[in-house]
Amino acid sequence: MHFAPLPYLDPGSGSFLIQLLIAALLGLGVAVRASWGKIKGWFGIKPKADEDDDESAE
Amino acid sequence: MTNQPNRGQLPASFRDPSGFLFSRDGILYRQVNHAYEREYARLMESGLYEKLVKAGLLIPHVELDPSSAKSEAAHKVIQPERVAFISYPYEWSFSQLKDAALATLSIQRRALKVGMSLKDASAYNIQFVRGKPTLIDTLSFEIYKEGQPWVAYRQFCQHFLAPLALMSLRDVRLNQLLRVYIDGLPLDLASDLLPSKTRFNFGLLTNIHLHAGAQKKYSGAEVKSRAGTMSKQAMIGLIDGLDSAVRKLTWNPGGTEWGNYYDITNYSNAAFEHKKQLVREWSARMKPTLVWDLGANNGVFSRVAGEAGAYVVSSDIDPAAVEQNYRHIKEEKTENLLPLLLDLTNPSPSIGWANEERDSFGGRGPADMVLALALIHHLAISNNVPLPQVADFFAKTGKWLVIEFVPKADSQVQKLLVSREDIFPTYTRDGFEAAFKQRFKICEAVNVREAERVLYLMESL
Repeated sequence: MHFAPLPYLDPGSGSFLIQLLIAALLGLGVAVRASWGKIKGWFGIKPKADEDDDESAE
Repeated sequence: MTNQPNRGQLPASFRDPSGFLFSRDGILYRQVNHAYEREYARLMESGLYEKLVKAGLLIPHVELDPSSAKSEAAHKVIQPERVAFISYPYEWSFSQLKDAALATLSIQRRALKVGMSLKDASAYNIQFVRGKPTLIDTLSFEIYKEGQPWVAYRQFCQHFLAPLALMSLRDVRLNQLLRVYIDGLPLDLASDLLPSKTRFNFGLLTNIHLHAGAQKKYSGAEVKSRAGTMSKQAMIGLIDGLDSAVRKLTWNPGGTEWGNYYDITNYSNAAFEHKKQLVREWSARMKPTLVWDLGANNGVFSRVAGEAGAYVVSSDIDPAAVEQNYRHIKEEKTENLLPLLLDLTNPSPSIGWANEERDSFGGRGPADMVLALALIHHLAISNNVPLPQVADFFAKTGKWLVIEFVPKADSQVQKLLVSREDIFPTYTRDGFEAAFKQRFKICEAVNVREAERVLYLMESL
């Protein structure tokens, strides 16, 4: 039997709402960057390697 | 389903019902509870664990026979690699905290790729392992459901972004507020203390100032349908935004107490080299596993003591020196040295629930060997600690002591006495030896070449 773990941190109401707002705004940027990457792809420009797949982190 | 308090369960490990740490016969284990079965499986089977461990971002562990569990709630028992020395965010320099913040965000990005998310972003879950910030809580991951916000967002802002912003833009010493606020800086306080120009910085305006405002406005308000409102793209935008806000914060050491101590001190090159040679010889002879270099400045002698393989905690009171030390180990990829910000006249106390969550500095000892080079005059003269009490302190702190006696004639001591009455008649070589002989056997006493100082190797009685 599986018990789903309850979130043990309180995300906080204000923190939750402001997060949605910021994320919505910045999410747009991510979408634009992704589309821009695709457009560049049509012209044969390769995207930069994903830094998080590097062997070493900061 | 939650774990009952257990004998041997570590006092810092009680908040999360997913599992807990316990120690048995001096070895540290983590129990993974049934409640966390699905998450643990995803972490291990998705390749996330392996990727994070390979990148040095997560502590490696081995799985043990579950029969060694502490309680019936156990799904598995794991034995994480032992961290050589646990340190806390109020003991880190600016770049140490910054790198810990970036590591947390990097882990979150990698987790999102396999449908997981960090359920906490506590700075206390990050430790320096082989010189790099590493997540030590294997149970910090939850299954990510698209639409769900980042439950650890507030904690990230309080533990990382707010203190970094204050250190960078107000005063680097404000990291000491973390010693008071164990769950990170209250954002309204950070917002008040930050210069008003930070309202023109998008990352700080939104994640600190507006965040603090929203917390105040909606305090205690019920937020309906907390799920299904934040796309994955938006989550990535949030994480990228935090990453860029953190990266923009900088602090450069300079113009502080010891920043260029070795340039202004009265050592000749020969004296300096002689001291290095003695530290090298004695640490090779005593073969300590753990060395505490107290008053280490930028860590020159810590490096020498570490040559024989010891793990060296290299502490200093000056944020600039600790910062330089950390930058140095990063550049050199040194794995066995931990720069630490510590005021020896008021070392980290034990704090948190029942005063047991975060250990005092002394409670994390004793060390096998303590280095106290060019330190005694600061304790005995600047801080007025009588020599017998200095000896008592060191005797409790480690087995072997390498200590330098700096006589009154030394210009560094003269500087300390220039503005005050000399009320230290016993501060002489004889007085020093008499006090320390009560607690130590003096094994060696060597006059440092071209200097009036004496270096001692002592063993505590």
